[in-house]
Amino acid sequence: MKASGRVILDKVFTVITGLSVILLIIVLLVILGPMLWRGLSAVAFKGTVEFRKMQLAEFAQGDESAVHIETAKAETAQKTVYEMIDRFKNGVDFEKLADRAKDIYRDFGEELQRKGLPREEYTELRSLSRKIRNELAAAFSSRDIGEINEHIEYVLKYSSDVRFKGTVAIQFFQMANNYKDAAAKIDLEKRDEYASELAELEEIIKGLFGPHPEEDSPALAQFRYGATRWDQAQNLLYKLRLKEKWVEQEPGQPLVKIALSRAELFAGTELKGLFGFVEKNLDKMLLPRWTFYWRYFVDDSTPGHYFGGIGPEILGTLMLTLLSMIFVVPFGVISAAYLAECARDNLIIRIIRMCINTLAGVPSIVFGLFGLAFFVLFFLPLFGAPSKPCILAGSLTLAVLTLPVMIRSSEEAIRAVPQTYKEASLALGASGFRTFMTVTLPAALPGILTGVILSLSRVAGETAPILFTAGIAVGPVPKSIFQTTRTLSYGSWDMAVADKLAAQVPHNQYGMVVALVLLILCLNALAIILRSRVFKRLKGQ
Amino acid sequence: MLSSIVPVSKEKSGKLALLHGVKEKSVVKPMKKTKPVQECACPVVEARNFSFYYGTKMGIKDITMKIQPCAVTAIIGPSGCGKSTFLRSINRINDLIPNIRVEGEMFVNNQDIYVKQINLVNLRQQVGMVFQKPNPFPKSIFDNVAYGSKLQGIKKRGDLQEIVEESLKAAALWDEVKDDLRKSALSLSGGQQQRLCIARALATKPSVLLMDEPCSALDPISTGKIEDLIDNLKKDYTIVIVTHNMQQAARVSDQTAFFCLGELIEYDTTTIIFERPNKKQTEDYVTGRFG
Repeated sequence: MKASGRVILDKVFTVITGLSVILLIIVLLVILGPMLWRGLSAVAFKGTVEFRKMQLAEFAQGDESAVHIETAKAETAQKTVYEMIDRFKNGVDFEKLADRAKDIYRDFGEELQRKGLPREEYTELRSLSRKIRNELAAAFSSRDIGEINEHIEYVLKYSSDVRFKGTVAIQFFQMANNYKDAAAKIDLEKRDEYASELAELEEIIKGLFGPHPEEDSPALAQFRYGATRWDQAQNLLYKLRLKEKWVEQEPGQPLVKIALSRAELFAGTELKGLFGFVEKNLDKMLLPRWTFYWRYFVDDSTPGHYFGGIGPEILGTLMLTLLSMIFVVPFGVISAAYLAECARDNLIIRIIRMCINTLAGVPSIVFGLFGLAFFVLFFLPLFGAPSKPCILAGSLTLAVLTLPVMIRSSEEAIRAVPQTYKEASLALGASGFRTFMTVTLPAALPGILTGVILSLSRVAGETAPILFTAGIAVGPVPKSIFQTTRTLSYGSWDMAVADKLAAQVPHNQYGMVVALVLLILCLNALAIILRSRVFKRLKGQ
Repeated sequence: MLSSIVPVSKEKSGKLALLHGVKEKSVVKPMKKTKPVQECACPVVEARNFSFYYGTKMGIKDITMKIQPCAVTAIIGPSGCGKSTFLRSINRINDLIPNIRVEGEMFVNNQDIYVKQINLVNLRQQVGMVFQKPNPFPKSIFDNVAYGSKLQGIKKRGDLQEIVEESLKAAALWDEVKDDLRKSALSLSGGQQQRLCIARALATKPSVLLMDEPCSALDPISTGKIEDLIDNLKKDYTIVIVTHNMQQAARVSDQTAFFCLGELIEYDTTTIIFERPNKKQTEDYVTGRFG
């Protein structure tokens, strides 16, 4: 090849190398960048007052007095909203009002009985209150404002009756008055419409601020505090202001999504002002503040992951990884030593080598099934342990998974040690075993550590082997190696596939994945540093 | 059980000579006169009809020679004539090679070392070896030299330090490395590494020292230092040195053996081999007509 041709080729290779590196960096940025960014949002975000409240309640973290003050402030601001809704409801939710009237009637009856009135008076008052109740019910269910006023007037006639003074029955009259005011304001035709719109509105408000102050907290704890993130609150605010609907704009054409302003839906009622009020005062109601939630990596989480951190998952991954390394490194190195030093080149050894090489490529789900069949169902009962998935079975499975890689790289490393070291050691009178332990093995250590690094990365991220042998999606932090554990890999899979509730807290998915990537990076970095130090010492620097 | 390969008597171990500085080395030394054979406590190395085969290929055939104790014996000959094979047979380091076959006998101190009951560890501690390419372990200088002593069971720090110092002085390396024995052995130069290997071999207090072309990978200055070293050591050790360099053989040795194509052609004092060889082959080789 002519010199000029060689120079050109050299330049071409340099350019290709540079481009490959740049391409790799771009790919990494494109894939990892958004993931890291979103995962970051699990740790650094605008935390609302609910977040601080939950931290205090679940993990006893935070300044108690400060949280109480803030909670009080937020609740005051939120109360206005609820009051607005309540007032509107009083005018609209006639079923509830009717039920309430029935309750008052019943309570009044009990009160009369307790008073011990003479029979006649009792009957009279009872039938009177019954009449009042029915009038009210009629008023509630009527749509004609004239009719309503008639019924109300009839009821209010008895408001000044002495017999009702100081009893439960005065609530009848309060209801009547409220209803009269409310009914005057709203468009009764639209009452049914309002009912359904109101239900939707209430859902959104509940999502923003939690349940009504007077309601009992519902059993599903996730609704206790609703959205704990500022940006989710923003989403809800959008939904609050605008209602999305599919309409057919032209016949025969696909439906088009349009957004209607909810404020318009409630036009002419008291609730119209609600929307602007919420929008303007959301700050005061939720009190967001920039939070750096480093405890995300330490805290346990509430079921469903809607609050808390991923501490148990990280712990589970670490335990499985380290335990499986403890199993695989001795077995791998000893097997490699045997194959490199002692094994003769006969048929059996060749078959063993072929098996090892083949096993390196077996899919990990097969190892998972093997682990279930062998370790969980057969091996554990041999030692008296219950035949259930546990960390021990999981790490043994992972160890078996990564054993071929470990054996291969260790054998390479041991073979790469120069024969002259061995000769020198033997010539000084060392036995073969002594030579191996004091000369060959230390010299092969960098290569063995490389194998450890490769195995570590693979094991930390594996999901299939621990599906049946150690992983669970929801469960307590394990106290012994005979229990199951949550892990980052399993948790990520579960949140993406199985857990429907998880869609409400997407930051957890990103957080788990980012934590996994960072964990593997850290483990790798440690191992690489260790390896380079050993290497430098070997080379005499 | 092997009892006849005994460690060298205790009085000898204190008598490692101290070198007084490093002599200048530039000219070919004149041929030496043969030393008078002294009373020597070193075991005698003797081969009787010794043959060595690599599988079916012959390495050396029918060698009968007696190595003189407390003297330097050089083995010379063209490449591939079996010099190294013979040398490595003396401490049985050839056993590492698979598929070997041995015929005849090799005696070290009247004990055939190719019998089943032989204690190889003892043998190799008695018969030390220095290889062609310097091969210090990737450890510190101290750990390299102390390696053999640790094998012998010496554990105390003070004892080990004494032995290391003695060996390094005997190998003419002490002055150059005494400041930092913790330094890695791989950071030394080639000549220093080879002297370190010699010190390492000396630390086990062997009585026979086998040297397989020890200077072929070194520069002339280092070569000179090592040749001086050999000169000083031979009072207390039996040294067998394989070399390509005939001038070196002439300078350093008392006895010389000439091998060719796996057979011992001639074995006599150095003076005779180089001035008045008996066989024509020998004469052709030493005068440079072939080789």
